[in-house]
Amino acid sequence: MDAAVTPLRMALVGVPNCGKTALFNRLTGSRQKVANYPGVTVERREGERATADGRGQRILDLPGTYSLNPTTLDEAITRDVLLGRLADTPAPELVICVVDAVHLPIGLRLALEVKRLGLPMVLALNRMDVARRRGVQIDAARLSAELGVPVVPTVAVKRGGADALIEIMESDRWLVPRSVTAPAGNGVSAQDAEQLQRDLQGLLGAAGYSPPRDNPWFARIDALLLHPFAGLVILLAVLFVMFQAVFSWAEAPMDWIEGAMNSLGEFTAAHMPAGPLASLLVNGVIGGAGSVLVFLPQIIILFFFILALEDSGYLPRAAYLLDRLMGSVGLSGRAFIPLLSSHACAIPGIMATRTIPNWRDRLTTIMIAPLMTCSARLPVYGLLIAALIPARAIGPFNLQGLVLFALYSAGIVSGLLVAFVMKHFSKSRQYSPLMLELPDFQWPNAANLVLGLWERVKIFLSRVGGIILALMIVLWFLSSYPAPPPDATGPAIQYSLAGKLGALLQHVFAPIGFNWQISIALVPGLAAREVAVGALGTVYALSAAGDDVSGQLQPLIASSWSLATGCSLLVWYIFAPQCLSTLAVVKRETNSWRYPLIMAGYLFALAYIAAFVTYRVMR
Amino acid sequence: MIEELLVALIVLAAFCFSAWKLMPARRRLQLLLALDAWSARRPSLARWRERSLKPRIARAGGVGCDGCASNGAHHPPSRPR
Repeated sequence: MDAAVTPLRMALVGVPNCGKTALFNRLTGSRQKVANYPGVTVERREGERATADGRGQRILDLPGTYSLNPTTLDEAITRDVLLGRLADTPAPELVICVVDAVHLPIGLRLALEVKRLGLPMVLALNRMDVARRRGVQIDAARLSAELGVPVVPTVAVKRGGADALIEIMESDRWLVPRSVTAPAGNGVSAQDAEQLQRDLQGLLGAAGYSPPRDNPWFARIDALLLHPFAGLVILLAVLFVMFQAVFSWAEAPMDWIEGAMNSLGEFTAAHMPAGPLASLLVNGVIGGAGSVLVFLPQIIILFFFILALEDSGYLPRAAYLLDRLMGSVGLSGRAFIPLLSSHACAIPGIMATRTIPNWRDRLTTIMIAPLMTCSARLPVYGLLIAALIPARAIGPFNLQGLVLFALYSAGIVSGLLVAFVMKHFSKSRQYSPLMLELPDFQWPNAANLVLGLWERVKIFLSRVGGIILALMIVLWFLSSYPAPPPDATGPAIQYSLAGKLGALLQHVFAPIGFNWQISIALVPGLAAREVAVGALGTVYALSAAGDDVSGQLQPLIASSWSLATGCSLLVWYIFAPQCLSTLAVVKRETNSWRYPLIMAGYLFALAYIAAFVTYRVMR
Repeated sequence: MIEELLVALIVLAAFCFSAWKLMPARRRLQLLLALDAWSARRPSLARWRERSLKPRIARAGGVGCDGCASNGAHHPPSRPR
């Protein structure tokens, strides 16, 4: 084998939440998402690194599994990669079995199964720093001798924490040919289970393993957080504070960005001769993409809370608390993590449903995932709430924050209701219980938080500077041409292609209170929800017949829309599947057009009916 | 006249970019593979093909999050460490 030409293939394997992805990031320099709960990785990920002498190494990060007898799709990926069953992925030449040193028995059981496949293997005892602090005893040298593979301590989240592992990966020791047993069947059979357990006990005894000391504080905190009543009150309080903060803390930085956008628009208009280029820059670029940029502080604050909760280990506790409620509406307990992920974006949430073994349960979760309020809705909600809801205090609370909380709750409640209805149409009454390992509590890592927020900022800015900007330029063109006739009396946009389309669509949307500007904005808003905010910015800037309105969308909406129209649009956005990528992923995950079409149909119908009722009641 | 031409070019570029980003992943991969086959016959494009086109094809062949416009963080570093 020419190691200089063909990169060596290595795979990271381990039980969920043992730190595989953190180790993958440490080894490859990637920034894959890590969190303190199981099920973050649902498909194989690949990264590369170069050894000190320039050889390439290709590293696969595989989904976590407790056994090589898979029960879910993501676990099957891990088994198939190890057995070399995937056409495009040969079996790895080295398996790095990652074991959480704090909970050694669980990980070591899988390591024994992997070792029986006969593939060269290294055992990484991860989180050794935490294990030492909690009094865990492991004699790595004896474990290595008993297991017959190198055993190295690692701390994946610390710089230099994988040096011992890298040293072994870069040596050729493990490349020495050994008698490889061809795997048979589907990994470990049921008959082997008892033998496996005996081997595990023997290994733990030989390695002098002593379990971690229980932290009395953790037990007390858990007793409170997992209490059926107090736990729910705390969960609601946490979410409440989060949404209050999104509005209260973001106010000042949003004002700065808005002011900067206004100044930029005025400066551009004042220093450029009137013409199509000035109109494109002022109304299309600054008035369109600029009006979305204003919501960056709210996105940062929302993700600060989400990342901190993820890192602390609180979220699986929330899953435990809500399990009974979810079970009562026919959702699998395993649906919690996918639905939680959907609050950032429905796409990873839909992909995370691979951890649900029952197809009916999985389909139900996929169908309601878009109802969870994703971060792309935040600019729309932020704009409309700030324009239509007064920033009044109700007791200690901010009314705008309360409305945002209500909108997020409406998404969750409607998702549960849809699941309840689907349960009654489903023939399957089987309930898949939630089996979740509660991770240890930990203080959120500041570096992880900063890195996570930076990633979100980059994603948001690349969207504003990429697809949103491009769509705003196209919309500006459609809203500006053809030019109005010489005897035109109204704003130029009314004579343009977009204006005519808006007038046409208004017949459909008038019953729910949408004017022609909103109707136009909904069309590019199909690509992604926040595009609608930019589209409204462009359409209103051009509707103002020459006045500079860039960056002043909020007061314009406040003065020209009724409360009924604003609330109707808010309700529309709770339900409407205004995201083509989500529908594309549903098609891919279900391998059929049927389900994305059903999803689009029922969500648009719900959106229209709910917006209609809201508008008629509030008018 | 030059101003109108410049605006037309910007709008055309924005239209192509939007169409590319919103295109189904499979169609995008087909187009990239066709471009790869075309550029393979031109030795002068070998360097660009190796450095730019091949990694893009590898990413376009990905699934799930790769298809989402939100995804900006899932690409491996360009220089292996």
